[in-house]
Amino acid sequence: MSSTSQKHRNFVAEPMGEKPVTELAGVGEVLGKRLEVAGFDKAYTVLGQFLVLKKDKELFQEWLKDTCNANSKQSADCYQCLKDWCDEFL
Amino acid sequence: MADQVDSMSDAELRTKLAEHGFPIMPITASTRKLLVKKLKLVLDNKTKPRTSVDNKADTRRSLARYSSGEESDLDTTTNAKEKRGRRATTGGAMLPPAANKTRRPPPKKGSPAKRDSDKGSESDEEKPAVRTHEEVETVTTRTIKRTYAANDQDDYETGSDSDVDADKKTSSPFRSNSRSSDYISSTLPSVDVGVGISPPKTSVFSRASIIPTNYSSSYSSTLSSSDNLNSIRSRLGLTSSLADRPTIIPSSSYTSNYSTNTYQPSTSTIDEVESPYLSNFTRRLSALKSDPPRSTSFLDRDTNNGSTVLPRRSFVTGINRSDIGDYKSATDKKFLKNNLVSLALVVLVALFFFCLFFMYIVKKNDITSVADDQNSVIPICQLHIPGNRPGINCVPKEQVSYAKSLLKLIHPELTARIAAYKCGQPGSLPYLTEREIIDIASAKAETSDVSQCRTDLNNLQVLLINNPRWGLKVVQLSNLYTKDAEFTTISATDLIVQQRAKGTVAISLTDPSTPLSCLFINTLYSAGSSLIIIALLTLLGLGLQRAYKYYVLYQKRKSEEIYSMVEQIIDVISQETEDSGEPYISVDHVRDTLILPQNREKMASVWDAAVKFIQRNESRVRMEVQSVDGEDCRVWRWISPHSSPKRSASWQGQAFETQEGSVNNLVVSPTPCLKIRHMFDKNDNNSLLRVKIQDAILEKCDSHCNILHIDIDRTSGCVYVKCASPTDAGVVYRSLHGWWYEGRLITVKYLRLERYMQRFPASPSAGPFLAPKRHSRRDD
Repeated sequence: MSSTSQKHRNFVAEPMGEKPVTELAGVGEVLGKRLEVAGFDKAYTVLGQFLVLKKDKELFQEWLKDTCNANSKQSADCYQCLKDWCDEFL
Repeated sequence: MADQVDSMSDAELRTKLAEHGFPIMPITASTRKLLVKKLKLVLDNKTKPRTSVDNKADTRRSLARYSSGEESDLDTTTNAKEKRGRRATTGGAMLPPAANKTRRPPPKKGSPAKRDSDKGSESDEEKPAVRTHEEVETVTTRTIKRTYAANDQDDYETGSDSDVDADKKTSSPFRSNSRSSDYISSTLPSVDVGVGISPPKTSVFSRASIIPTNYSSSYSSTLSSSDNLNSIRSRLGLTSSLADRPTIIPSSSYTSNYSTNTYQPSTSTIDEVESPYLSNFTRRLSALKSDPPRSTSFLDRDTNNGSTVLPRRSFVTGINRSDIGDYKSATDKKFLKNNLVSLALVVLVALFFFCLFFMYIVKKNDITSVADDQNSVIPICQLHIPGNRPGINCVPKEQVSYAKSLLKLIHPELTARIAAYKCGQPGSLPYLTEREIIDIASAKAETSDVSQCRTDLNNLQVLLINNPRWGLKVVQLSNLYTKDAEFTTISATDLIVQQRAKGTVAISLTDPSTPLSCLFINTLYSAGSSLIIIALLTLLGLGLQRAYKYYVLYQKRKSEEIYSMVEQIIDVISQETEDSGEPYISVDHVRDTLILPQNREKMASVWDAAVKFIQRNESRVRMEVQSVDGEDCRVWRWISPHSSPKRSASWQGQAFETQEGSVNNLVVSPTPCLKIRHMFDKNDNNSLLRVKIQDAILEKCDSHCNILHIDIDRTSGCVYVKCASPTDAGVVYRSLHGWWYEGRLITVKYLRLERYMQRFPASPSAGPFLAPKRHSRRDD
């Protein structure tokens, strides 16, 4: 991925704190709502799932697809976002 | 099989996934669904025998494609870019996981349709055999699939295609282990074909040599891990050696051979994971070699699959261990054989020295050989020499043998006596008196002829004096009646005659040796006693040191108490004189203020010392006698010019602005807890530091705020303050932050309440607020 979105950069710039799930790159309003229905209302819950899946790209993307019908781009963006954040802050 | 996955427990699921090369991850409520789905997909792909090798390699290569794995049947030659595009479109329209179950059957139905061709029947035959071994279900299905592929002539071409595909893959190295092993098994058929089709090759190389080289080279292109490669290579060396055997080996013995040999070094999990493939590989080798009719070999292999993989543990525990035992004993034998000569040498040397020692002992005690020595000086009595007197300075020739036999008779007794004496037995003496010798001689010889014994003894004495090298000596006892073993050696025959009349002549050994056991015991005794003495001395030293330490500590504590008492006294004097307006205060009053009634008797010495100290060394306080309420009593007069030197010394002004609107002022105070740094020196050992700090803070904040708890941490030099509310904390923050306190600039930070409670669990959360000590004292 040559360039990243502004949203991605914003998210990776600082600790996630109590940010809502929609702050994640690749997760917009629609996906955010679906994730909230599934119980993932904060970004850190998604991070938790990401970590439980051992940062495995394929499994995480698969999970995101299953949970909120994300498409490949969205899930890849979200994965990259969380991965960069982890590289930075974990 | 897919139905079983749903009802699997978490642990089973995990092991299954591990078998298929997935990373082991926690199975939670949220991940379980996903993992179950994955496993099903993998198992579905497994159970489809009709899918070509190429398909399998393709679908397994990327886990991301499992979602679209159903479509992989349709198109295998499309490149990766097209696939990604397709996945993106299908992924968007994908239904939730529940819908997947309904979607899966169509490809299943599609595969039996294909299976109707000529090879389909064989796969049907295999299936029941697989089902019987449920523990190794997945493994066996795998191997069957592979063996099937090996015998399937149509798949060879596509198998070589999968070669190229697999080289292109770029995935995480973790998973590449299992995948590449898959890949190996899938490429094997093509290698087999090469061997089988082109006979010239086999003439140049042996079969076994071709297969491993192809195998390992293709393997190394995909797998970077070198140790894996090494383990594989070592195994290949094994299998090639097996394959070199010219005789036809039944497949059953072949596989069992394999499992006993290759499981021996399997310690890593990777080895265990990979072992099924390798067994598969060797089995195919065996199949190539033996080349029995196909149908029977399948049956054989099926049973072998079950039996070789199932008792995997038993091989490891049973045969393997016995192998190790054999190996150990073999190495032991080898060691013995190699070192036999050196061992024998050592034993010989030891034996030699032992013999030497033994001979020395024997030789020393052997009096007979000494006495019968030809070199002995024997003064024979000759009649024509006038000075010769038998029994005094010469021995009659015929009586020499008698004297010698007497010597031999008494020698053991004498040795025993000396030994007993040396060992410190009470009542034993290191000599034999004449009387005793005669008693022994008459008893032993059973002759009552005492005079004959007497003569022999006299002759013996003459001989002993003349032959000091016999090891015996004639001695003169200094006192016959005491038990003291004091004697002097007689060296002249004339003296004997004089002493004989007194009866104080005895025979002793010139060089008495102590027996080994006695020597040992004596050494032990002396060592033990010296040890005890050393221990006692050490204990004494330790005790002294301890006592000294305690004394020093006691002195230190005492002086500390005195100093703190002095400080308190001065504090009280300065405060009281200031507060009450009187310039002096009664000594007894100060004492009663400072010391509780129950401690007054105990603290009397400290108090007296403090009073003396103040009298001698305190310039600000003068002791005088005043009449208080009509009674003369000693008083302390505070003569310091400053009314309250301490207060002015503690808070020395503000370094920077903390009031409203300044940069250092926080608009809201987030927590009710504060952490104050640099308020005191870390090396400050004042026991009343906490009270002092508390007073200083309370004084500074005055009554503006409600402080619940103040404590100090001496190691970090921090003061912790807990207020009733964040607003109060804000007040404290503003009134303390950036102030100089006793020459130190203090800084205040907010602290989260949880952290504060973690540190001081006992701190009160409500209740009475802290008040300065001074005020409370005045209230009393």
